[in-house]
Amino acid sequence: MDRFSDLSKMRSTSIINLSGTLDALNSLPARGALGLIALLILLSPLLQAETLPPEVRAVLEEHCYKCHGPEKQKSKIRFDTLSTNLIKDRAAAETWHDALDVIHLGEMPPEDEPPLSSEERTVLTGWIQGQIDEVVAALSSTSGRVVVRRLNRFEYQNTMVDLLGVDLDYFSNLPPDSVSSEGFKNNGASLTMSPLQLEFYLDAARKGLRHAIINGDAPEIHRHQSSETTTDKKGDFSNRVGRGNAFVARMENFPDEGEFEIRVRARAELVEGKGFPRMKVRFGYRADTQAPAEDVGMVDVVSEEVTEFVFRQRIERFPIQSRGQSKFPGMMAWITNEYDDGEKFESIQTVEKEVENEKKAKKAKKAKKVKIYVEDPDFPKVVVESFEFIAPVYSSWPPNYHEEILFESPLRNTNESEYVTAVITRFMERAFRRSVEKGEVDVLMSYYRKIRPTVDRFEIAIREVMAMVLVSPEFLYLVEPGGEEKRSLSDYELASRLSYFLWSTMPDSALFEKAEAGQLSDSEVLKAEVARLLRDPRAGRFVTQFTNQWLDLGSVDRVAVNPEYYEDFDVLLKAEMQEETRAFFSEILCRDLSALNFLDSDFIVVNESLSRHYGLEKGPRGSTFESVKLSHDDPRGGLLTQASIMLGNSTGEDSHPILRAVWLRERILDDPPAPPPPNVPELNGESPDMARLSVRQQLEAHREDPSCADCHRGIDPWGVAMENFDAVGKWRDQIRRKVPNAKKRESWEELPVDATSELPGGIEVNGMSELKKYLVDQKREQFARALTSRMTSYALGRSLEFTDEEAIDEIASDFAASDFRLNYLINRIVESELFSTK
Amino acid sequence: MKKSWHFNRRTFLRGAGASLGLPFLECMGVEKAATLPSRFCSIYFPYGASLAKEGAEGSNWRWFPNGEGGRDFQFNDSLKSLEVHRDDITIIEGLSHLKVRKMGGHDTADTFLTGAELKPGQLKNTVSADQIAADAFGASTRYRSLVLSTDGGVGEPTRSSTLSFGRTGQPIPALNKPRIIYDRFFGVNSDSLNRQRRELANSASMLDLVYEHSKTVRGKLGKQDQEKFDEYLESVRSIEKRVERSESWLDVPKPDVDPTGLFLDADENTPAEYISTMYDLMYLAFQTDSTRVATYQIGNMNGATSIAGKFPELLGMPKNMHGLAHGWNKKGGAEALGKWDQFLAQQLSRFLDRMKSTSEGTGSLLDRTVVLYGTSNSNTHNNNNCPMLTAGGKAIGLRNGQHLKLGQEVPMSNLLLTLLQQIDVPVDSFSDSTQALSEILS
Repeated sequence: MDRFSDLSKMRSTSIINLSGTLDALNSLPARGALGLIALLILLSPLLQAETLPPEVRAVLEEHCYKCHGPEKQKSKIRFDTLSTNLIKDRAAAETWHDALDVIHLGEMPPEDEPPLSSEERTVLTGWIQGQIDEVVAALSSTSGRVVVRRLNRFEYQNTMVDLLGVDLDYFSNLPPDSVSSEGFKNNGASLTMSPLQLEFYLDAARKGLRHAIINGDAPEIHRHQSSETTTDKKGDFSNRVGRGNAFVARMENFPDEGEFEIRVRARAELVEGKGFPRMKVRFGYRADTQAPAEDVGMVDVVSEEVTEFVFRQRIERFPIQSRGQSKFPGMMAWITNEYDDGEKFESIQTVEKEVENEKKAKKAKKAKKVKIYVEDPDFPKVVVESFEFIAPVYSSWPPNYHEEILFESPLRNTNESEYVTAVITRFMERAFRRSVEKGEVDVLMSYYRKIRPTVDRFEIAIREVMAMVLVSPEFLYLVEPGGEEKRSLSDYELASRLSYFLWSTMPDSALFEKAEAGQLSDSEVLKAEVARLLRDPRAGRFVTQFTNQWLDLGSVDRVAVNPEYYEDFDVLLKAEMQEETRAFFSEILCRDLSALNFLDSDFIVVNESLSRHYGLEKGPRGSTFESVKLSHDDPRGGLLTQASIMLGNSTGEDSHPILRAVWLRERILDDPPAPPPPNVPELNGESPDMARLSVRQQLEAHREDPSCADCHRGIDPWGVAMENFDAVGKWRDQIRRKVPNAKKRESWEELPVDATSELPGGIEVNGMSELKKYLVDQKREQFARALTSRMTSYALGRSLEFTDEEAIDEIASDFAASDFRLNYLINRIVESELFSTK
Repeated sequence: MKKSWHFNRRTFLRGAGASLGLPFLECMGVEKAATLPSRFCSIYFPYGASLAKEGAEGSNWRWFPNGEGGRDFQFNDSLKSLEVHRDDITIIEGLSHLKVRKMGGHDTADTFLTGAELKPGQLKNTVSADQIAADAFGASTRYRSLVLSTDGGVGEPTRSSTLSFGRTGQPIPALNKPRIIYDRFFGVNSDSLNRQRRELANSASMLDLVYEHSKTVRGKLGKQDQEKFDEYLESVRSIEKRVERSESWLDVPKPDVDPTGLFLDADENTPAEYISTMYDLMYLAFQTDSTRVATYQIGNMNGATSIAGKFPELLGMPKNMHGLAHGWNKKGGAEALGKWDQFLAQQLSRFLDRMKSTSEGTGSLLDRTVVLYGTSNSNTHNNNNCPMLTAGGKAIGLRNGQHLKLGQEVPMSNLLLTLLQQIDVPVDSFSDSTQALSEILS
């Protein structure tokens, strides 16, 4: 298969990164005689290599020039004129590097050409590798630098909450972050800044600070309690919450800000053979813009004994209608039951009801159609015993988060200026994630002095100064000052890298203390911190972010499932599919299992709805994800059989073997096929026979065209082996699809699945199980390396370049030697030089 | 709502025409003279359109009208809903950006309004036409421009999710959530005027200090970091200007817009409501003179990440956007893609309806607005002969009611140049333009 196509574009990111380092190198002579000498020493062997050694040229002439030479330039690659000065010509460097890869992978020369003899291979790859090694050596003093990186939306939100202690929505207004070529949203080079964003940051900062620094006396506490739901005509408001009805509470009095609590005392009515009822609480009401209520929380009700459930949230995050507007009914809360047993049952039925028609009382009684709610006796229920709303809730006044910022100090009442300086200093240190110098504080104090006379309370001026801190670059970016030379990170910088890697937020006070004491350079301390961070619930953010982005779980949302094909498919299941994959990752991480479980595992991690989706005989009863052991002959296990992966790489009607194959090669093997070249010729779709072929046969027809075959023989077979899994990830023996028939009417037909496939290198596999076995047996090292490089890229917040290869190779082989344990990999990355240098 | 002594600027313009003296304008925070405004609006859809050859199967779904052009053209099925606007539109066949033809078929949404060539390894864009207009009109309205897209943000170079690029070619993030757009343009700020005024005054000095301080931060960074960091510095500079603008608009109440009928919670799962609401928000922004420049990218060409890709499927069509575009020459493909084109045209038609039924001066809102609607592919990722139409601008010298067939050598920049000139933006050239496109002038 040909990886050369459109190289220039595919590799654009790394070329950009490389160019910076090359420019830096090229500008060295200007920096003085010493630099010049150093450069000449570095360059001299490369200059000699400007001409191609004759034995290398001979191999190229024999095997490569035919397609990549004077006559043909397949994929626009031409070797006879390609520069051999890899430092000067960065595009050439990348091309040589890719050539090396495809030769290594056996993709070049193509199958229909004579293969390289082992001697020829040694000559050619040896020479290219040698050239690359020299470039790596020449560049290692400047390459692989982490680019100054803005916090992405998610990190910004978490950091604001941790810094201010007030859990508001700070990020919804921010535009979506750009995604790097590896699929990550924390790549410094991809994340941009714009005036619009800065404007939103300033608004968010002021909003947050208004809540974090309070001004005034303890607010009145509103309480509302009800043991009966409000009612409506259809009768679908009830204390017994089953399918399609709700318990509804209405509060007339509530504050505009602060935390509130909703306490629900409820019990379950369980039904044999069905899952637990699932209680969902929603809150908020705004009629003027029809803003719907937002979710407060969701929980399984598992006991028939009455249990109290407490939900706590900030009221500012929910829609509130301005008071005083007409017909304001008060604030509303809804309790519904989100359990879904997959049965069809019309909860709202239209019935004929005899009604007395008052006006025409003399005439006969008339039957009138009305809608009523009908309870399904076979549906598990949440029975609400009581509902309580308390707002605002606070354990002390002023609240802790306020005291955290405006801390108690004797200076407070004696010397305002000194007190403010101390307050600002502490806030800056936390916001900038490092110690600050007096000069830096002075800048902010000058602003304080400027606005203090214009306001009556110093708190108001302090909010403004802190807002300034929150739009400063040291807060919005992970700033790591540095010159041309690589240097070790300071402890503070290391602490930030670590906490953003594993928690997507700023370091907590314990980590700060370690940094302040200069202990993080001690590898034992560092290790202990990694372990501590991973034990903390915030490590769930790493699981979520990394899994979502590494495996592109967002693809599930981009595919619309066609209801004609999957009548019973519930859109809500999509989120659970994504959660399955995260829970699976989490299981492997928390139990310190082998990462080879990603390729195949003898367990899956599912909840009630997914286990029903998969047709498991015995699965969990609730919405919580649990590990379930698979029987020996079960084809499931590993990532590949997960519904999120299968659906995300489907058409929403049928499987999409090409997408699945590309996903596998890119995400699991880190060997992405080249993107399709411009103006791909269309298959001859006019042929009526084409539509009747199975996908597999269509792909075969596709590959009869040599221009398609070049790439697709390295792609399609991977996907064909997964054909037993339909678009939504269920097992199938028949492919069901709609075909136009002669009368132009649509009809359904079924084709048997044929999942036998020949992988590159002549490896025959029959279906998913053999594919997975092959991956586990033959591709484990490649997978280990792929995962290493993806996770390192995520940890560093930058794309990897070929100067990083040696380091990645080392980490990957250590990772493999550790029995592929994820915990080990994370530690190994953290202690690597890549992670600890700027 | 409480009556303010300040005039609603829109009411004033509608009722008073161009004859009022300056004092009234000053009290509304407006410096410019009271001529009627002109506006620029551009809407983009990805992947081209259904373009079966005339006479071939499915040619009734051909986006362009059949025939040799001129005034007596017949709409095919895709654009039939525009029949009612026949006299207000010009369908232009043959245009594309000449330099952009060299680029990959998926790479060209970035350059629809810029005409630049994104060279591999650099991927630098240049200023977009709408932003040149925004520079010219920005001072007269509360917001310089309204930049929208379904995906939001900036996307990545060659897979941009915004149509708008600033002076140095930096992408301008697009807003994509109707409620946020509504709140920004029409939402009532519950803070007291005093607090708003104080915060704005503070912002000015705060940003000055931040800028000075940031320059010293920049000095400590490595070379690569400095380049990245300049984005931040430029943003601080330009937000300072925004603060000044906001101060001058503080006393002008935001227009009172009734949100009834807007689907502010529409998202990518409800395409019809979502797209119509985005159009409505552009309409309202124009109608209230909150801005005079708007762009909306209906979908980007990142098949792998565009959330808009599934729109056709959600509307019951057989494939996603990319799939429909690829299938144009397969059996039934011209019709399948044509139906998507038709849906999009209906949405446009509704927007034009609203623009046309709102009077301004002696004509309508549409008469002083140039609307450019189109795509950057013809079919299957070819970057030439892009389906495109202009609408409106009758009162500012655009000739409509025609199907224009141009030679392939005419740069699309000529069209953009002409549109800018007609809305009185003082430019002599745009991107690789060679001359004005006199064919669209009356």
